[in-house]
Amino acid sequence: MSAYTLQKMIREVNLRPERRAEFFASREAFVAGYDLTDEERDAMLRFDIGKLYALGVHGLILRPFTLLHKVPEPDYLAAIRAER
Amino acid sequence: MPLVYAAATSHAPGITAWNDAAPAQQRERIATGFGTLRERFEAARPDVIVLLTSEHWTNFFLDHMGAFFVGRAESYRGPVEPWLGIAPAVVRGNPDLATALIDAAYDDGFEVSFGYELQLDHGAMLPLHFLVPELKIPLVPVLFNALAAPQPSARRCYGLGRVIGELVARRSERVAIVATGGMSHDPGERGHGRIDSDFDRTFLGRMAAADVTALTSYRNADFAAAGSGAYELLAWIALRGAIGAIAGSVVAYEPVVPWATGIGMMTFAA
Repeated sequence: MSAYTLQKMIREVNLRPERRAEFFASREAFVAGYDLTDEERDAMLRFDIGKLYALGVHGLILRPFTLLHKVPEPDYLAAIRAER
Repeated sequence: MPLVYAAATSHAPGITAWNDAAPAQQRERIATGFGTLRERFEAARPDVIVLLTSEHWTNFFLDHMGAFFVGRAESYRGPVEPWLGIAPAVVRGNPDLATALIDAAYDDGFEVSFGYELQLDHGAMLPLHFLVPELKIPLVPVLFNALAAPQPSARRCYGLGRVIGELVARRSERVAIVATGGMSHDPGERGHGRIDSDFDRTFLGRMAAADVTALTSYRNADFAAAGSGAYELLAWIALRGAIGAIAGSVVAYEPVVPWATGIGMMTFAA
């Protein structure tokens, strides 16, 4: 399944307040707990929205994740539409 | 008559999370629409709500995805989204009716999933916020997989709805059935903001007229063409199955670009 672990990890941040706090305390430590590809890990650490979308993160997982970061809608859409 | 209320409405998060982004006239018409739904809901004095709504990765993920899920918990918490603009709350469940619904479904060839724990997201909390803001009416949530292919077919959703309607007719409680989701939208995807008003208006017309042949003829590709969120209309088709041929009327329809959704609302003369 494309981006299975990546999506599972982001979903944890979206849904579980205690995991969300851990993520925002240390993105590096949080991401280190998951078996991601180098490309996925890099996209997470750089918060590269376009790359995360291109890697297969579903819009209803990625957009809520970016809302937690207060990313305005035009910026989100520009990012996912730019990456092919 | 145990079915005392039936309605369908979109549940786009923008309605509460970024309400001000929409044009004032559209906001007013939608607020008026919710007012109408609530007025009729209160007049119907339901004892319980069967809420047909869609999964948004809140309770299920790709580790275990079923087509239909019935909540049989004593209570539910929601919303899970801290940005939704709706305060976290507890909503009572109705395990007795939920269990009867599960039994009826199994008897009729629908082996639905069920569980005693379920979190509510905007799909339930947003409509409840407008219909019954005090959250004083217990709930039986029924979730549809509108996310991960293969989604259940329109025909099966209609069939499950019929089972629900037949069960409700045998019950002594005053039951409200509310379907939520849709209409055309492509949330979080590249087509975000694109609304297909022709698709939406055709669908509303078919719901109003109880055009079962047309409703059960929708294919996955038809929903996909109207945006990934249009699959949520499967819950509306189930509602039509539950209520039979009773007349429906469109309370509001607004294609709200800043909320990225065709917002539709209907009531049915229960």
